[in-house]
Amino acid sequence: MSLPRDPDHDLDRLLADDGGELTALYRRLPKAEPPRRLDRSVLGEAARAVRGYTPRRQRWLLGVGSAAGIVLAAGIAWHVGQDAVRHEAQGEMPVQSAPAAPSRNQNYVPVQPLSEPAAKHAPPMAQDAVGAAAPAAAPPPAAAKPVPRKAGARAKDVAPPLAQPATPPVAPPPAAAAAAPAAEAFPAQTQRQEAEAATGAARAGAAAESDLMAKERLDDKALRTRAAPAPPSSSVELRRDMQLAPEDWLAHVRQLLHQGRRQQAIESLRLFRKAHPRHPLPDELRALLD
Amino acid sequence: MLAYAGGDLLAFETLYRRHRGTLYRFLLRSLRHRADADELFQECWSRLVAARERYRPDAKFTTWLLQIAHNLVIDRFRRQRPQASPEETETVLRNLDAPDSEQPERALSEFEQRRRLQLALEDLPEEQRVAFLLRVEGGLGLEEIGEITGAGRETVKSRLRYALARIRARFQT
Repeated sequence: MSLPRDPDHDLDRLLADDGGELTALYRRLPKAEPPRRLDRSVLGEAARAVRGYTPRRQRWLLGVGSAAGIVLAAGIAWHVGQDAVRHEAQGEMPVQSAPAAPSRNQNYVPVQPLSEPAAKHAPPMAQDAVGAAAPAAAPPPAAAKPVPRKAGARAKDVAPPLAQPATPPVAPPPAAAAAAPAAEAFPAQTQRQEAEAATGAARAGAAAESDLMAKERLDDKALRTRAAPAPPSSSVELRRDMQLAPEDWLAHVRQLLHQGRRQQAIESLRLFRKAHPRHPLPDELRALLD
Repeated sequence: MLAYAGGDLLAFETLYRRHRGTLYRFLLRSLRHRADADELFQECWSRLVAARERYRPDAKFTTWLLQIAHNLVIDRFRRQRPQASPEETETVLRNLDAPDSEQPERALSEFEQRRRLQLALEDLPEEQRVAFLLRVEGGLGLEEIGEITGAGRETVKSRLRYALARIRARFQT
């Protein structure tokens, strides 16, 4: 390598677009690169900075959003718990919680154990009806209303118990064992229902089946209504909005307007204004704030 | 950078991959210690992340990045005087491995050239070295170097001229 000896010429070569001979030599020096741990560290920090980004003045919204989220979660859990209790009361209680049932809810729990004896004592035809009703009876949730039963309704009331073997085939001995204490707790009622079930089971089978299906339809509808995802609360939505890029956020506001959710759109836009005070607002959106 | 300031992490990753090598080499050759270069490299990106909303596209991103790096380097110089001994410099040079893809005969002469350039860079006064590195590593012009170092155009030219003279002297010995 021969470097030019004139300092000005040397400088001109260095400042030329290609950088001259010296720059070329410099580029042949070992290309030191940062270690990977630094890459990870820097990229991680950048990601945390973006994810955790909230304007300071809006941090209280996070708290409100979190509290709303917790309340929502607790509400859902409570509903699910209630559904489970109703579900158990309707179909699976004898297996899982019959021993505790008599002292807890005497209005409807005793009906569950009756199914077992009723099915046992029913004639073969009734047993067939039981078998036929079983698959359809799998999801009978909230039909168990704690209303005292009347004598005239007994024949039909046998229907839910008839459907109970949907669970017992899986574990008949525990079901029978679990049914016993509850049956003992209401001997007179049990005997009366047993007798009625034995004489009327065959006749009640078909009617019970149709009755049951109607109930199931109602219950399914109720369940669907309950299980449908609740629209996210306002603060939760706002919290989500804050994670959006400015342009996406504005697009979301427009979408809310198109959906007719004007109030939510205004709230979101106000928040946007605070989060991005320097970001220009389209005229139609600015009009919302005026 | 504007995209990243708006929350686009992918934009930052692109930016980072494009400039990480330049920044790291600028720091390593300015500071001559890997540990220092590692530390300031991380610090530099941290400051950039923290200042992302203040970024204005008036200047090139490279200039902005190297401005942060230069400030950190100058702070470190001030704290570290006196400078590293020639023995330490040799240690750094030994740690910088040559590329594997070179022919043995040619590699020897090129190695010698690179070694001389490295030694010349090590021997340069800080201001001249920084100006030279901003030019050859960052690809910056006189105005941009002056903006970063806070010196006038003629001062920058003078520093570069002196730097080149010292490097040339190293090649003539």
